[in-house]
Amino acid sequence: MPVLQADSLVKVYARNGEQLRAVDGISFHVDEGEIFSLLGPNGAGKSTTIGMISGLIAPTEGTATIGGHSITAEPVHAKELMGVVPQEIALYPNLTARQNLAFFGRMYGMGGAGLDKRIDEVLEFIDLVDRQNDRIDTFSGGMKRRVNIGVGLLHKPKLVYMDEPTVGVDPQSRRRILDTVLRLRDEYKMAVLYTTHLMEESQEISDRVGIIDNGRLIAVGTVEALIQQVGEEDRLVIQVDGDEVPSSLVEMIKQREDVSDLRIEHREVEGSLTKGTQLIVLVRGGRRALPALLQLVDDAGVTVSSVEVREPDLEAVFLHLTGKALRD
Amino acid sequence: MKRTLTIAAHELRLIFMDRGTLINLFLISVVMTIVVGFATGALSTGGGSPVVRVDVLDQDESALSAQFLDYLREANASLVLCPMDNDAGDICNLDDEPLDTQQARRRLENQTTLGLLIIPEGFSEDLFNGEDASVIFRASADASAPTFIQQAVETAVQRINGAFIAARTSDDIAPSGVGTDALSAAVYERAQETWSQEPVQINLVQTNTDEDEGPSFTQAGFGQSVPGMGSMYVMFVIFPVIGTLIRERENWTLQRLVVSPASKAEIMGGKVLARFVLGMIQYTVVFVVGLIIGVNYGSSPLALALVMASFVLCITALALALATFMKTEAQADGVALLLTLTLAPLGGAWWPLEIVPEFMRQVGHISPLAWAMDGYTDLIFFNGGVMDVLPEVAVLMGAALVFFVIGAIRFRYD
Repeated sequence: MPVLQADSLVKVYARNGEQLRAVDGISFHVDEGEIFSLLGPNGAGKSTTIGMISGLIAPTEGTATIGGHSITAEPVHAKELMGVVPQEIALYPNLTARQNLAFFGRMYGMGGAGLDKRIDEVLEFIDLVDRQNDRIDTFSGGMKRRVNIGVGLLHKPKLVYMDEPTVGVDPQSRRRILDTVLRLRDEYKMAVLYTTHLMEESQEISDRVGIIDNGRLIAVGTVEALIQQVGEEDRLVIQVDGDEVPSSLVEMIKQREDVSDLRIEHREVEGSLTKGTQLIVLVRGGRRALPALLQLVDDAGVTVSSVEVREPDLEAVFLHLTGKALRD
Repeated sequence: MKRTLTIAAHELRLIFMDRGTLINLFLISVVMTIVVGFATGALSTGGGSPVVRVDVLDQDESALSAQFLDYLREANASLVLCPMDNDAGDICNLDDEPLDTQQARRRLENQTTLGLLIIPEGFSEDLFNGEDASVIFRASADASAPTFIQQAVETAVQRINGAFIAARTSDDIAPSGVGTDALSAAVYERAQETWSQEPVQINLVQTNTDEDEGPSFTQAGFGQSVPGMGSMYVMFVIFPVIGTLIRERENWTLQRLVVSPASKAEIMGGKVLARFVLGMIQYTVVFVVGLIIGVNYGSSPLALALVMASFVLCITALALALATFMKTEAQADGVALLLTLTLAPLGGAWWPLEIVPEFMRQVGHISPLAWAMDGYTDLIFFNGGVMDVLPEVAVLMGAALVFFVIGAIRFRYD
């Protein structure tokens, strides 16, 4: 039995007299001991979905059960089985790490020596034993994130929701958080529902991924199965100067047999005030095709500033499914 | 319930970690109570014994009229009946001139006196003949004192009336042949005697003070400032919950509580309980200081606790309801300050509502503080009991209920 089952969740907000469907009929499940990622750009509906399945936001339609308990009909039982790690640092800044853990532990009915022992374990798990009696407002961003995660794990939940837990942390802290997520599955057999807009994170840690866009779940599966959807095509990202690409060049690239798609994106060039243009080419055998494609660009009088060959990944899947880049 | 208590204890811990709150709670409120107490004490008593001059034209000059005046003095010891009570220092401001009707009216108009009482000739004769008799009372335009004087006059009239009613009743029921005059005189005497042993209930004299004196400086000043400042500082410590709730929502600690197994009722109950306890602590601090200074809170601790609790609940509920309309912490802090500094003086925290015009007295009752002050006045100045403060408690609890319902319906946790 899945530890989480979400069925046809809908959330409609009324804004300025208009109905906004933030989540539009999402269904998925998370099995025990599984890491399931919800991958999608900002504003896709990930946090709203988490809000509904954690009991924070009432669904307009649909249901969610945790361990067989409906989050709306049996919220107390459902909430006892889940731990939530919100995107925000949901801690009391003028309390110490230990005091924060103790307070939230009591909210889960813990207390006495049992709570003290569990706090010790969690502090060890998040590697903050030596800072346990320091106030949260003296912590670095990464340390706060770790305490934020620790609070969600305190009562040994069967399922942990983690909403973009790496936002705003340095690479070292990010690495540590991702390792923590993997340990939750591997050592503690917890299921994790992980939301992110970062394809690399999702691809690295997930057993299965749900791709979400505009409030809809557009694909669900293992990373490998999703990548299969875009075949064996590589993505060639050719950055060129200027914001104009001759139509003749576009036509010539599209006419090649090994090219299945070409998209042109205009974006600012990092470290420069000038704008650049990206030619994103979906092509079979990208490395083999690269010299000929660069020759076409050169022949058209367009200056290439950088080239990148990307093997099939979730970014390509998202591009394939939505026609836009994940970061948009 | 356990979670509610945990949340309340946690809230109080966070509150007491803030030194600003401690300073407000234990220092500023006490200092303000003492300062305002001295100010209002001086205002009420002129810095010494209270003097409320009432000119009396006793045209009857009978033993009964003299007795009536004695009752009047007993009814309110602050009254100085002129010219009868004039002393060597000319407390009546008469400048050795005799008092006649014209002069009495002038003195009333220029507020040398606050009332004029005329006992017409034939007053006692009418009464002994079983006929209706009248006394004439004219009040000054000053809004505060005449109420006290009028009540004292009514008390004196009631005592005389009571005795005569008893005497007339004896006339009516005595068997024929019995000397009714002698009987009614005896009943009248006995009624007077009984009344003096069991004083009337309408009594404006402060029961805590010596019978020969009016309200002391302490009672007059601190009897006003202790409940007034106490109530204002209750608002000061409770209204910040508006900003706290917004900050908790912004920091996501509120949402973190909502996704825990704690129900929304437990969460809100904990927050309300914390502010209720804080409000009661604030009241206790100020009231204990008042007790040390010498304020007498009357004879009903239960009634006092009821007024305190109902006011604290009302303000807590008002804060919760207001929190649902606020969007930012800065907005909430501004509204909290504005409300406190508006509702407090409007409700009589800074000065007694008796000294403001009738219109403002009525407007002032928009403020819950005015109802609480009415309750405290009943207890501190009139030695009221639970039944006396029930109307005020009912209004405050009713308002609290309305505010709670608004807050519960409108409050957003996400």
